[in-house]
Amino acid sequence: MPSLIPDGIPRSQQAISVLWPSFIVAIIASGVFFSAFDPRDLIPFNLDIDISPVAAYSIGFLLFWLLASLSSFGTLYFTISNCRFLNKQRD
Amino acid sequence: MATSEATPAEPVLYEAHKKIYPRDVSGYFTRLRVISLVTLLGIYYITPLLQWDGRQAILFDLPARKFYLFGLTLWPQDFIYLAALLILAGLALFFFTAILGRVWCGYACPQTVWTEAYLWMERKIEGNHNQRKKLDKAPTSAAKIRTKALKHTVWIAFSLWTGFTFVAYFTPIDVLAEELLNLNLGPWETFWILFYSFATYGNAGFMREQVCKYMCPYARFQSAMFDSDTLIVAYHPERGEQRGSRRRGVEPATVGLGDCIDCNVCVQVCPTGIDIRDGLQYECIACSACIDACDNIMDKMSYPRGLIRYTTENSAIGKGQKILRPRIMVYAAILLLLSGSLITHVAQRVALDLDVIRDRNTLYRETPEGLIENVYTLKILNMDSKPHRYSLSAEGIDGLKLVSDQAEIEVEAGSVFEMVVRLQADEYNLEARSVEVNFHLQAQDSNHLNASREARFVGPGSS
Repeated sequence: MPSLIPDGIPRSQQAISVLWPSFIVAIIASGVFFSAFDPRDLIPFNLDIDISPVAAYSIGFLLFWLLASLSSFGTLYFTISNCRFLNKQRD
Repeated sequence: MATSEATPAEPVLYEAHKKIYPRDVSGYFTRLRVISLVTLLGIYYITPLLQWDGRQAILFDLPARKFYLFGLTLWPQDFIYLAALLILAGLALFFFTAILGRVWCGYACPQTVWTEAYLWMERKIEGNHNQRKKLDKAPTSAAKIRTKALKHTVWIAFSLWTGFTFVAYFTPIDVLAEELLNLNLGPWETFWILFYSFATYGNAGFMREQVCKYMCPYARFQSAMFDSDTLIVAYHPERGEQRGSRRRGVEPATVGLGDCIDCNVCVQVCPTGIDIRDGLQYECIACSACIDACDNIMDKMSYPRGLIRYTTENSAIGKGQKILRPRIMVYAAILLLLSGSLITHVAQRVALDLDVIRDRNTLYRETPEGLIENVYTLKILNMDSKPHRYSLSAEGIDGLKLVSDQAEIEVEAGSVFEMVVRLQADEYNLEARSVEVNFHLQAQDSNHLNASREARFVGPGSS
């Protein structure tokens, strides 16, 4: 019996399947989020943080990317571990 | 790059990547393609250089939270227009895919545009497909290192230019250039230039057709827009088979063969490395390189052109080609409706916004004349690209008086103006404890520029 597919996916493609969809999601999320909120309004009053807008947008984008990749990683992880489990059960 | 972990007994589900060396091709569609690719590259690199009204014509000004699009200035609250524009672009893609198939992939997709540009540089430096293959197989030598180093230097330089241009859509290009020349680039600007350069270098230099095969969502779902009347690149098997080699000038029928001489040139020119003679495949980006390649061979053999050609499933089996079909009509109708409403909305967009905040500290106070007074803070947002003078009025209560320290309201282009106004009314005219009033702002130089905002006027309550 051929093994279920995801187990055989090369590492490079696994990395892409985590980083790439989350990258697109991060672009959409940043666009929607930052059109609603000005990063300058998000810094609490009691904190004296001097941060340039470009830095704020960049960090925001990277955070969205990180969050979305965690989700993508979860999907990949469960898919692969489920396939392993099913493959083992069938053998 | 990728290694398959499948054991020999199992079918290989993910093939290890084989580098593709597309053979050069020339012909009608190749010329068409080059014109399209060069035009698009030109648009990308030249756009940030365009000026409009003394500023960059197209600029996402992040610090100011404004998006300049020639004469139009969009604010965050106009995000809906941008979203609508993206949806419109998506629908246009559906529409053109249904009629013309994957023209987007072959002629306009950034992945194709930059891959072809990098391939062109590779060709200029390393030579044609055979020379490139030979060079890669050759043992390391000084000459090989020199050639490879030159190629990567040129690629990296082009990538950096691409990354720089990308950031110039967000930071004005003159500022960015000055910062760069003074070695004074901000850390995040540096980061994004390098990030985008690296992505370009990787995608166009190395990943190439793999992006289309493994990363592109459009490549997966474009078949949903296809029907039997969609334009595809296809081989004509009835004419081509039985394929086989023969001497030039031989009439195919006399040797029991079709028109395909099995020269494999169509496979060699394919940037995604497929054989178009195997039928329609999702890897095919419809770049039409195989059409030109095959036509050239047919010319040499003195056979009619078009063994591989643009066709539709229906015309390939002898049925007529129908362009106007329900699917197209529906796509066109939605497209027209949406673009019409977007154009109307943008045309009617009032570049003025008024925000009214009632003073929360006191509900109301009585003036020495015995009138009830409420205090409001007004925020006037002039979203236009030139300054305007406005007149303010308020209504909703009989004999309502508007009092302001500001005789003239003049707001600079693209800025917010804050002012405090007082409304005074006779208690006798108040019908309830809280009455709705309406502020109205009217530009003095344009009837079209006006904004209204309602607010509450609070009094002691009806006796």
